[in-house]
Amino acid sequence: MNAADAQHGDDHIPASTAQPFPRIELRFGHPGRGYDPGEWVTVEYCIDGLNGERPRALERSALWYTEGKGEEDLGVHSFERFATAETIDRVVPEGTFAIQLPTSPLSYEGVIVKIRWCIRLRVFFESGRDHVSEHVFNVGRVPPSILP
Amino acid sequence: MRFPRFFTKKRGHRRTDSHAWGSFAEGLFYALLVGAGIVFGLLLVTGAVSYAPADPDSVVLQRGYEWWMWLLTLLIPLALLAFGGSGLVRVVRTWGKSQEHRAAASKTVILDGLAGASPVVPGHPGVPSCDNLENSPGIVLRYRLPLESPENWTLVGFGLFALLWNAVVVVLAVGVGADLIRGTTDWLLIGLLVPFVAVGVGGVVLFVRAAILSTSVGPTHVEISDHPLVPGVSYDVRLGQGGAHLFRSIDLGLELEETATFRQGTDTRTQRLVVRRVPVSRWQRVQPVPGGSFEARVAVTIPADAMHSFSSENNAVQWRIVVRALPDRWPEFTRVFPVVVLPVKAAVPTASTETVESLE
Repeated sequence: MNAADAQHGDDHIPASTAQPFPRIELRFGHPGRGYDPGEWVTVEYCIDGLNGERPRALERSALWYTEGKGEEDLGVHSFERFATAETIDRVVPEGTFAIQLPTSPLSYEGVIVKIRWCIRLRVFFESGRDHVSEHVFNVGRVPPSILP
Repeated sequence: MRFPRFFTKKRGHRRTDSHAWGSFAEGLFYALLVGAGIVFGLLLVTGAVSYAPADPDSVVLQRGYEWWMWLLTLLIPLALLAFGGSGLVRVVRTWGKSQEHRAAASKTVILDGLAGASPVVPGHPGVPSCDNLENSPGIVLRYRLPLESPENWTLVGFGLFALLWNAVVVVLAVGVGADLIRGTTDWLLIGLLVPFVAVGVGGVVLFVRAAILSTSVGPTHVEISDHPLVPGVSYDVRLGQGGAHLFRSIDLGLELEETATFRQGTDTRTQRLVVRRVPVSRWQRVQPVPGGSFEARVAVTIPADAMHSFSSENNAVQWRIVVRALPDRWPEFTRVFPVVVLPVKAAVPTASTETVESLE
């Protein structure tokens, strides 16, 4: 399980009055989270700790982003938004989905440029707050770059 | 509903401003532009209706403006309205949407593709287009690769500097000369002219030196048997180096360069770093044929574990063939020929299209 959950930055609640954020557990079809380009990625997820609060919407996306010295670039490969009561009931609190990866870009661990692939689940609540959970996986088998 | 925080935490250790506050400020800016456009336009239109001071009971409706004059007068308020209005619409469209939602939505807008990132190889997202690398056929091999040489830009920079600086020097010199003809001597102007002339002469010397350096060693040509390149595959490469001098050494190799563009305050900076060097061949004591050029043909193998070429708005990973030569009596020079490397072919069927869905 990878639970790289993160509270969305626009939320700030004093500890005494804060509602607990949900915990999103996500399981990849491959235990090592390593995929080849063009391969299907299957994902199971479970959202715990909703405490009766009803999500207003759920977004599921597969994307790559850059890290390193440069400004962050982002490319969304797959994006789904569930925003009606009927569709939300199908995908909350647990669900599965599958996406087929493109041929590029591959995951890359460079010196000043890094490319990462991830699955993001973003839950929007009626109160206006939202919570995003990011789960990184690898595409391809490019070794890390080391300065010559 | 809570008030958004002004500062929020970004991925990693960087801290940035809140997206909500940023959107609010952006919206406010565009709303102010729209307001200014309306007020300015109303003032211009209502200002057309006035009264004659000599006859306050009469209202003057016509001030003698032609239609084109009205168009010219209303140009600024109309521009403010158009710019502010389009900005406001964009802010409203993206308000409350997640980063992923905005990125997915932008892919569906045709115009965004025109103004956005550079074109890519079809079927390979993130891999830069190689159209510009394949539009010149080679003499022996299939493609002649274009040269990307920083020396040429240095030459252009020196030339522009020398031209503009010496134009200023000429203006000053004409002023001094005119004074001398009239029999007066402006020592302050003459004192100012001396350092200006010195810098101008220095600029010309630098330009001439750079021009001699770039032309005396002769042109470098690189041809390749196929393009784009695939990891693990070997390609024939033909090198041609012109010049009448003896070269102490000529090196040909592959390099992988990372490029990152970032903002530092109000400046935009770009850092380049070579992270992998693959030597291919080295020739020593090379003497090109008089009136001809040194010719060599080698096999270049792209490493099987090579990262593919990648390009996005602010980041890039680029492969290039690099020729480094050390002439006998001139400084070393480097000539760079970019190539595009595709990702390793997948063993499974590739994804046909990217999925962007919205189930409202």
